[in-house]
Amino acid sequence: MIAKPARFGAAGLLAFLSIAFALQASAQTPQGSPGVRPGTHLGVATCLGSNCHGSVDRPAGSRIKGNEYIIWSTRDKHHNAYKVLTEEPALRMAKALGLPDAVHQKLCLDCHADNVPVADRGPQFHIEDGVGCESCHGGASGWLGVHISGATHPQNVSAGMYPTEKPVARGERCLSCHFGSGDRFVEHRLYGAGHPRLRFELDTFTAIQPAHFEVTPAYVERKGRITDMQVWGAGQAVAVALRMAALASPKLAPHALFPEFSHYDCQSCHHPYDPLHGPRSTVPGLAPGSVKLNDANTLMLETAAARTAPGAEQSLGGQMLTLDRASNQDWAVMARDAKPVEATAMNLAPMLAQREYSRAEMRAVAGSLISTGLEEGGGRFSHAEQIAMALGAVRSAMISAGYLSDGQAQASGTALNEINAAFPSEGTLRADAFVKGLHDFQRALGQ
Amino acid sequence: MSLPLRALFVAAVAALIAASPAAAQNQRPPGDGVHLGVASCLGSNCHGAVSRPPGARIAQDEFLIWKSKDKHAKAYLALTNDVGKQIAANLGLKNGAENDPMCLSCHTDYVAANRRGPRYKLADGVGCEGCHGGASGWLGVHISGVDHAANVAAGLYPTDDAAARAERCLSCHIGDGTTVDDAKRAISHTIMGAGHPPMPFELDTYTAIEPAHFVVDEGYVTRGKKAPNDIQVWIIGQAMDLDKRMAEVLDPANAPKGANPELVLFDCQACHHAMNRLQWRPRATTGLGPGKLRLYDASAVMTAIAASRAAPQAVGPLMAHLKALHQATAEGGGDYWAAVQRQAGLLRQDAKTIATAAASHNFDRADAKALADAIIAQGGEDLDYSAARQETMALSSIVAAMRALGFADEGQAKALHDALDPVFDAVKDDQTYAPDTFLQALRQFQAKLPQ
Repeated sequence: MIAKPARFGAAGLLAFLSIAFALQASAQTPQGSPGVRPGTHLGVATCLGSNCHGSVDRPAGSRIKGNEYIIWSTRDKHHNAYKVLTEEPALRMAKALGLPDAVHQKLCLDCHADNVPVADRGPQFHIEDGVGCESCHGGASGWLGVHISGATHPQNVSAGMYPTEKPVARGERCLSCHFGSGDRFVEHRLYGAGHPRLRFELDTFTAIQPAHFEVTPAYVERKGRITDMQVWGAGQAVAVALRMAALASPKLAPHALFPEFSHYDCQSCHHPYDPLHGPRSTVPGLAPGSVKLNDANTLMLETAAARTAPGAEQSLGGQMLTLDRASNQDWAVMARDAKPVEATAMNLAPMLAQREYSRAEMRAVAGSLISTGLEEGGGRFSHAEQIAMALGAVRSAMISAGYLSDGQAQASGTALNEINAAFPSEGTLRADAFVKGLHDFQRALGQ
Repeated sequence: MSLPLRALFVAAVAALIAASPAAAQNQRPPGDGVHLGVASCLGSNCHGAVSRPPGARIAQDEFLIWKSKDKHAKAYLALTNDVGKQIAANLGLKNGAENDPMCLSCHTDYVAANRRGPRYKLADGVGCEGCHGGASGWLGVHISGVDHAANVAAGLYPTDDAAARAERCLSCHIGDGTTVDDAKRAISHTIMGAGHPPMPFELDTYTAIEPAHFVVDEGYVTRGKKAPNDIQVWIIGQAMDLDKRMAEVLDPANAPKGANPELVLFDCQACHHAMNRLQWRPRATTGLGPGKLRLYDASAVMTAIAASRAAPQAVGPLMAHLKALHQATAEGGGDYWAAVQRQAGLLRQDAKTIATAAASHNFDRADAKALADAIIAQGGEDLDYSAARQETMALSSIVAAMRALGFADEGQAKALHDALDPVFDAVKDDQTYAPDTFLQALRQFQAKLPQ
């Protein structure tokens, strides 16, 4: 996509470079996403005027919070993303990977900072700012003027601001790091070197970031009404599509004896050697002791699709089963069988992003998540983790829609805390506490 | 057994022996006859006494030890208890593990129905003839009071010989694919995934903790039995473990299937560790980067240490082949499996050279001390669980040898033995294993080594 003529007003060479980058970036943008047209990244400092996003409290009468910068700089881990590259665990990781450091590596910076080419960095840009404003909202050179002038959100977006409010677009942007797309991918060698596991669910992570936006009537007026259910469903669809793209990617194909292990469910291997209590493959046709693909997002997508696209649940289940069985065959078969899953997910993404759920439907989704969790009895960590986050999203959606009484909201909140407390440390789950939490959550929602 | 059948069987055994040079050197019996059953051995004048009768040249309480203390006697029961049932169900064995020849081939003294005598019972588990061989050919001679060589010539299995013992024990304890009539002793990751427990093994330590139902005394030696010292048993056991594991790599049945390597060939803890345990570190023996699986190589590392005293010229090639093996798993091109197999073939040769050298090497006081020091140094190098467990058992064997060979007096041997307690404690469980605790225990043990 070519940059708008308005950009030519900025500065000749910079604008030219930004077009080149825009061309490159749009070539990598997954189909169906709104165009990303990054211009020059001007830097965090450009956004934090006290009349803009740098105030301490919401200015009286302001239609936005105004304190976005404070929230980001004091509570949002994105702010520290670069800094962690300078700390001991990152140095240890770099050493294990045979790298001199982490802060100068594209491999690390691509997700730990707003790592645009040097030519696309404005005078106030600092790589040390980590994942700053423009990492998510896009390089501002093309749209900052329009934005400051009080344009509408669609005007901002058409000038190049990234539409983070749109569930699919948000999913694509977040997951480009939180799962990986294009050049960005946390391969198993990085995990082996000590990189923390990536866990993600779009709605939950939007909330715990914590969000620096508030869905107020003014927000809805500017950006439309978007529900937690939509964010959850679209996030799952994008995650599945990216997983499938990764499976089919030649860069992530097996190397010598080893497949790229990050395609698989971590706990499929990383479970304590407790013969009869470890997770076991439940895929028909896969022998015990087989390594299993990570299908937690697919499971969630099936749950979301069940009420939105009749037949999609079954076809997704069938396609996933074919894919699971292909893991005993040649990688080419696996890559081939990933394609239909990816297509189904990409088809579902926009549908789920617009889906309106009735009270009964939200309860049905919660009921379905709970019964899956209870059936597995906490035996599948990756599923349990997604179920916990999904229930959080459904609960938020129900509260926003006024579907829960104060008592139900409080009781379900307590139950959700119980569920989350069943994950005491990385990679561990207290199955009993998880099951009890699910029962309590179900009870809290009442009839 | 009819004559033609028997001839066929002998031919089959001969072929097996030919395929296994280590066994061939050890005059494996001409044929494994009919298995008469445990009941045939436990006469009170034979192996069924409660305690050693006065003047007896053997303890005679072998049956009692086996029955009351030896897990081999309960091997069949393990197939029918809750765990066994669950594993059978996970494997889809419709008739249960107790009717599956693969399971029976290691959990009992399994032979085909036509080689079972009237007192033979599968339910006896791994009974006398599971290790000593079908007795039909040799029981008469054996009862008549001949010497050990005559028994062996008649078909008794020479478990006194370290290589022969290793061959027999490892056939099940790593599941080396040995066939017994219609059954194959083959362990796979499918079986492990179905719930089979892991199978740590070290020949000398496991001989001791079985517990052994023999006592090496003067009579034992004068009857013509070999009495390899514990260091030799350890080394030969490790070298043959390496040989057999590499034979598994060469087995077409274990070639990678699609995207899946046969995972049973790998070090369990390379994958089965908690995700919050950052355990990768550069290892000179593998050269593998982080996030890779590594083939189980603890026996190769132990064999290299052993070779440093018994066959120093073999250490360099062994370590080079081992590193090349690991590299080929991760870096090899299109024909990587052939490259892996090439190194596996070379390692088998290395293992045989070292086992042969160890069998005739006269381990002296300096050797024992040097081996213990080298094992402890390796402990500081590897830090991973499977290596630590092998290092622990190796030290236990060396202490036993030091005592038996008089390199440590009773007081010193006791102190060393006691100092091994914390070392064994440190490797009790892979999930709680902490390298620092292990290293500290090793150092405290080292301080007790006689100079």
